[in-house]
Amino acid sequence: MGNQDLQEKIQIITSKVQDNKYIASISKGLSSMMPIILAGAIFILLDSLNFDFWQSFLVQTGLKEFTAIPSAVTLDMLSIYVVFGVANAMAREFNRDGVAAGSIALLSFLILTPMGAADDGTVFLSMQWLGAAGLFVALIVGLAVGRLLVFIMNKEMYIRMPEGVPPNISRAFEAVMPAFISVFLMLVVRGIFAVTPFENIHEFIYSIVQAPLTALGGQWWSYLIVTLVMCILWFFGIHGTLAVLGIMMPIWTTLGLENLEAYQAGAELPHIITGTQFFLVYTAIGGTGATIGLAALFLGAKSKRYRTLGKLAIVPALTGINEPIFFGTPLVLNIKLLIPLLVAPLVTSSLAIVATVLEIVPRLNGIGVPLGTPIILSGIISGGWRVAVLQVILAGISALIWYPFFRLIDKEAVADEQVEVPVAETTETFA
Amino acid sequence: MADKTIMLVCAAGMSTSMLVKKMEQAAEKNGMDVEIFALSANEADGKLSEKKIDIILLGPQVRFMKAKFEKKVEDQGIPVEVISMQDYGMMNGEKVLMTAVNL
Repeated sequence: MGNQDLQEKIQIITSKVQDNKYIASISKGLSSMMPIILAGAIFILLDSLNFDFWQSFLVQTGLKEFTAIPSAVTLDMLSIYVVFGVANAMAREFNRDGVAAGSIALLSFLILTPMGAADDGTVFLSMQWLGAAGLFVALIVGLAVGRLLVFIMNKEMYIRMPEGVPPNISRAFEAVMPAFISVFLMLVVRGIFAVTPFENIHEFIYSIVQAPLTALGGQWWSYLIVTLVMCILWFFGIHGTLAVLGIMMPIWTTLGLENLEAYQAGAELPHIITGTQFFLVYTAIGGTGATIGLAALFLGAKSKRYRTLGKLAIVPALTGINEPIFFGTPLVLNIKLLIPLLVAPLVTSSLAIVATVLEIVPRLNGIGVPLGTPIILSGIISGGWRVAVLQVILAGISALIWYPFFRLIDKEAVADEQVEVPVAETTETFA
Repeated sequence: MADKTIMLVCAAGMSTSMLVKKMEQAAEKNGMDVEIFALSANEADGKLSEKKIDIILLGPQVRFMKAKFEKKVEDQGIPVEVISMQDYGMMNGEKVLMTAVNL
């Protein structure tokens, strides 16, 4: 069957992407940052809550000094955590010591980052490259050092300890070789960049790789293409969100992070599309495919089958989980429903983009709302009540788009259910 | 120790956790002694080394991970199956449970 073959081919490609150790390490590494990002983000919210009484309360009690600290040490220094997390994930992919990899990767990152001395002699590390700006370098260093450690350990280039030494101690020495080699390599890299116009690797990667890619990822058309690809994968029954997110994560995380840094500094937010946050708040309302409209419509279905599905699916849909809809309707390989599946999220995203450009709603603040945060709540956290209202409007539009197709399949389901009854009656008379 | 331990794997572990509830209800109804839990694909790797798992079930949307899991457990002889789309979509805990124990 044509569809089956195509489905299998796509599955093979997707699994290659998923299984790719580098992409997996980036995803796992960045995902493990979530508690750190959230902790910082909550305090940004607390710090900048725009109510006069709250702000004066903070100032009067002296708490204002404290609320700004968590975000400074989490988000503004995220690259430090990321480099550790990614190297850790990388080493674990190969079943090697993640902590050793993470520590050495952090060491390497710091070697590559310029340090300065203030006039009074204090040595300092500028935070310029420790936050979003250093993210891509953090990813590269994390992957490289992680992989290097695995390579060295696989080749067993250890410093050999004599027989009687306890395993804990000889294990600690295993990491010494990778550490030495990494340091050496990083010094070489730093030296090379020092003689280029870029002066250090951060400037280089940022201007040649990070900035252009991020700008590209933040374009409305590239975002819509990505959304389209995700929905097409889901059509084939593959977790499109997971697969595509794995690739887009570095760019989408940077977009969100840059907005968050600006938000915290009280500056203008640079991006309209804040990556994963934008996706969860506006595009995947009710789940990928903007299926909340369909879930709600099911509640009022005429057929028993879809009414049951509606009751089952509506609560998860409110938190953005739509597997019941995908596999129960089903949306998978269901040509009849392909059009709304592709159109609904494109429409909601486009409307959201337009609304943001026209400044009807504020730009999203980059706070990493976790998957599973209910609609409206996610809107309020991301930008306030206007965003939440837009979400509700978009949900309604989703219902409008799904409606004619819903009517079609509901009618068919009702007809199916009616056929079943007469069949039962006929068999009885023959019994 | 339960008679059988079943691990469900999904992308985030959320949709499968609903199925787990239904399966547990079905197990109780039928007097079966099973331990069932759901994990995201990331966590599943770690859990395999921690716990003795009898059956691994994959959500249909992550079926592309079947080969990877089969390879991981081939020396332990643990069956790895993908849950059927219909059963998964309708959250038919009973059917999934019965399919699993008959593997």
